Amino acid sequence: MHWDRACYFRDMAVHWKRFILILVTGAAAGLAWNGASGRGFALGRSVLVQAGDELVEVADAGALLKRGALFLDARPRDFWRMSRIPGSLPLPEEEFDRAFAEAEPQLRRASGIVVYCSGFGCEASHIVARKLRERGFIAAILNEGLPAWQDAGLPVDTEPRS
Amino acid sequence: MSGLLRHPRAHLLLRLVLGGFFVFASLDKIASPAAFAKIVYQWQVIGPVPSNLVAVTLPWIELVAGLLLIAGVWKRESALVVALMLVVFIVAAGSVMARGIDVENCGCVSVAKGGPPAAWPPAWTKGVGWFLVSRNLVLLAASLVLVLVTPAWPGSPAPTPGANGPRSDAG
Repeated sequence: MHWDRACYFRDMAVHWKRFILILVTGAAAGLAWNGASGRGFALGRSVLVQAGDELVEVADAGALLKRGALFLDARPRDFWRMSRIPGSLPLPEEEFDRAFAEAEPQLRRASGIVVYCSGFGCEASHIVARKLRERGFIAAILNEGLPAWQDAGLPVDTEPRS
Repeated sequence: MSGLLRHPRAHLLLRLVLGGFFVFASLDKIASPAAFAKIVYQWQVIGPVPSNLVAVTLPWIELVAGLLLIAGVWKRESALVVALMLVVFIVAAGSVMARGIDVENCGCVSVAKGGPPAAWPPAWTKGVGWFLVSRNLVLLAASLVLVLVTPAWPGSPAPTPGANGPRSDAG
């Protein structure tokens, strides 16, 4: 096959200004829509954080653990069985009512409560903290969850639980 | 095969399919930007604030590029924008799979929250996995045809270098 016929893109001509204009127009429309449509949200912070949510950074959470605060794992129970912040109790979002009944006596004795899940993309810790607030318990949410805790070199209990 | 890839009707079909898919994919995300942001977080490729910017701007870029493809305006450039997005999606999906992150709903066409498993469509078509990567590779191939191949009716002479713009020798 001759090169002229084999090379489809020999006569390709991309107008790069048009390419950039498509990207810029789309981005500008998105920002305008977010600001003016009433459906938008604040861009400067996580959309998971709502009014009334109390966040705790990992360094402060480590100090709270040393002072005896109760940690709650909002991930599915199987994840808690595999690894967890030492002393934490399972309080999965999807089985909240049952797990809350199990944990309530310890919640009532706790000097502080911190809820965590699996990172900044995980909403379960926010939902569990709000449900606890509805029941009269003030619980802080560990910002960026268990991955941030591990990255900070804080202890993780990996002994399997049943 | 070379004639088929050059055929104007093949280009029309590819433009309508690609453009239609991207317009359709953008609508639910535009309607619910915060819900889409939560899905972008689950990919854990970039932090919350950059994810917010992606969630707000990406669907509109999909919409603009999709509409241009359907309308047949700036075809090559809009196809290149689509190709670029698909490359980013494929790389990000590979990263999610390599890290073992479970994303139930990729947020590709819908931001509906994962409820009880429905019979249809099956879960493997919605999550981040090999189906998503394969589908995006097919779409990428289609978009690259629109970028790289100049349409010509069968029997018409091959395009002359220099006849289609200032960068005629590109590639």
